[in-house]
Amino acid sequence: MSRLTTSAVRVSRPSSAIRLKGIGRVLTPLWLPVLLLVAWWALSARSTSPFFPPLPDILVETWNQWVVFGAWTNAVSSVQNLLIGYVAGVLIGVIGGSLLWRLRLLRTATNPIIYFLYVLPAPALLPAMIAIFGIGDMRKIALIALGAIWPTLLNTLDGMRGIDAVKFDTARALRLGGWRRYFSLVLPGAAPQIAAGMRASLTVGIILVVVSEMVASNSGIGYFILQAQAEFAIKKMWTGILVLAILGTVLNYLFMFAERLVLRWYYRSRALHGA
Amino acid sequence: MSLTQTGTVLAVDGLRKIYNEGTDQANLAIDDVSFHVDRGEFVCIVGPSGAGKTTLLRCISGLAQASAGSVMFEGRRLTSVPDELGLVFQDYSRSLYPWFTNAKNIALPLAARRVPKAERAARVDESLRSVGLAHVGKMYPWELSGGMQQRVAIARSLSYRPELLLMDEPFASVDAQTRFDLEDLILRVRRELGITVVLVTHDIDEAIYLSDRVVVLSKNPSVVKEIVPVELGNERSQVQTRSSEEFLALRNHLLSLVMPHEK
Amino acid sequence: MSTRRGLWTAWVLPPLTVLIVLLFWEAVTRAGVVSPLQFPRMSDTLVALWHEFGSSRLWGAVGATLLGWAIGMAITVVLGVAVGTALAVNPFALRSAAPVIEIFKAIPAIAILPLVILVAGATLPMKVFLICFAAFWPFVIQVIYGVQSMDQVVLDTSRALGVRGIRRFLSVSIPSASPYLVTGMRIASAQALILAVVAEIVGGAEGIGRNILLAENSGTSAYPTMYAYILVAGLLGIVLTGAFFLMERRLMHWHESQRNIRASNRAVGA
Repeated sequence: MSRLTTSAVRVSRPSSAIRLKGIGRVLTPLWLPVLLLVAWWALSARSTSPFFPPLPDILVETWNQWVVFGAWTNAVSSVQNLLIGYVAGVLIGVIGGSLLWRLRLLRTATNPIIYFLYVLPAPALLPAMIAIFGIGDMRKIALIALGAIWPTLLNTLDGMRGIDAVKFDTARALRLGGWRRYFSLVLPGAAPQIAAGMRASLTVGIILVVVSEMVASNSGIGYFILQAQAEFAIKKMWTGILVLAILGTVLNYLFMFAERLVLRWYYRSRALHGA
Repeated sequence: MSLTQTGTVLAVDGLRKIYNEGTDQANLAIDDVSFHVDRGEFVCIVGPSGAGKTTLLRCISGLAQASAGSVMFEGRRLTSVPDELGLVFQDYSRSLYPWFTNAKNIALPLAARRVPKAERAARVDESLRSVGLAHVGKMYPWELSGGMQQRVAIARSLSYRPELLLMDEPFASVDAQTRFDLEDLILRVRRELGITVVLVTHDIDEAIYLSDRVVVLSKNPSVVKEIVPVELGNERSQVQTRSSEEFLALRNHLLSLVMPHEK
Repeated sequence: MSTRRGLWTAWVLPPLTVLIVLLFWEAVTRAGVVSPLQFPRMSDTLVALWHEFGSSRLWGAVGATLLGWAIGMAITVVLGVAVGTALAVNPFALRSAAPVIEIFKAIPAIAILPLVILVAGATLPMKVFLICFAAFWPFVIQVIYGVQSMDQVVLDTSRALGVRGIRRFLSVSIPSASPYLVTGMRIASAQALILAVVAEIVGGAEGIGRNILLAENSGTSAYPTMYAYILVAGLLGIVLTGAFFLMERRLMHWHESQRNIRASNRAVGA
């Protein structure tokens, strides 16, 4: 009789190249950022340059400006516009990319146009958005959306085209209909690359929201920073820079966290088998 | 499940396949292939490398269109992949969807055929049990070894109870020991489900061990060199059957047909 | 697919589509569907573009943008290769530096633009600094990937053959890592162009971006000029990013996703 077994064989994790014990593993990624922070603190503490106020002062001022004096409304405005524009852009990107993947003729026909819009530096469109939408939130959202579409769109297209042909044969063998194939094969198969595109779209979106707040605007973190610069209120300006840096970091980490969650299967399978 | 009726499940007549037809790189892969497969039979297709075995399988499965000749499946002309066909590819790691659990992979064709949810779960369990992997439903394919992944692929192709199972060198990517296990598995499955199987392989021993008849293809451009009946009985065992006289005689005969310098 | 239809699809259809879009633009603006206060006519834009091409303004602006881009790229690449290689060969350094790189990468370079303007004014050094600040981090990450991706077998072979030091760096390491390097340069190039334009629009530095904003501020009659300069920005993007895309494709043709793309192209006709 043949040996049929029901126990699963788990492929073991490859051992990591660096064997760090406990504390070492936690400290290694921390010491450099901490050191840099301390260095900044120490070097700026006795600084007389008007452009680089002491870090402790900046931190105190941040609290004053943003919490006490209510500058946090700027942050809300920025995040709001960014999210609406980003979501709109990314949705259009995924749908557009899917359409271009499906309709080969459309893809070939629009190739130069899409490419042109992808390499066009999005900030160049800001004055045009002002001309079309006036000043207000709509032009910011429109600019962000316009900038966010292309990285996602192109990565969606590339991701779908890069799916293994054997999986498509399998879909035909299993008789998967159009929509089912899209949601069961095409979208998940392209998902890692779509995520990469969405990450790039986020970077573009952040740049665009700040740019749109620095030109003919009266709200937002970008506006706050520029206003402080115009008033030569350097410390106030630094608080804006700090808040923006923190916001950018938080958004990126949120994105990475969400990505790791949704693409669990991808990261775990790579960990087991290597890229 | 079909009614117990004898009859021809698959009839291939004068099949011809030319790649890049009408261009400079036209390549006649298959010249003239004819054979038939009756219900409940296990037929293996062998041939030297480059004999277009995979091309043949793609044509008779509906994945590719023949240039000339006909393929009749259950008496109907085959133009696309039919519902009652199961397919198992050689490369299981590229065929199973890594973003779904094993259970979800197996349930996929059932969902496509609108099998109600409750029944789906039952059939998935049934399929997994029939390949000896009752507890891996919640795991992912890439968490399993190669042989197990191929079992999951086989379970997936059986879950919707096809009439005919086509297999393209299904055991070529696993180690020898696992190969024997899987060969016995497919024999057992076929006996229990009464399914018809056509299996393409380059391994002559495997072809003899598994089949009722062996279709031998010639080198490219392929024709059917000979169809060899295999009368080894229904009870086959790796140790005894493979060392029997009939087996060795068949082996000699097939080797002489397949070996390149033998004409 | 017969070759004649293939030729038509590949060579005639795309330019034809561009033409149709341009005509559509003209029709929509002429018919008054879009207000002339917002959108100029295509014909007027092309005329303005032609006009600018003839004047020294356009070339001056392109030159200013390109100069900032080029210097910024050069510094980024040299620094990036040096730092990235050094980090990649030392696991401890890499693990220490990784969070710092990630944090700095997440800071939008535009955040420090007002500060840099205060310090350096609306000048070329300001633009170059901003470009480097934005482009360095993604580039160094790609360099690290590239060095990490080098096949150990290749390295061992080169050591066995006695190829070491600078020669090994130039003849083995750089070619092995080159796909990642070129990808990194393409990403850096795109970032650099974006930041150059940002420095020009927001910071008032000389260049295409500034001309776009000036045109917008000059009122409706200057809108054709504004769009003309936007087109120029796009064309510049095509030239710069396109060059890197071509290099990338040539170097990456063995990569799996490219193979799958070619296979999927064939499969459509099967």
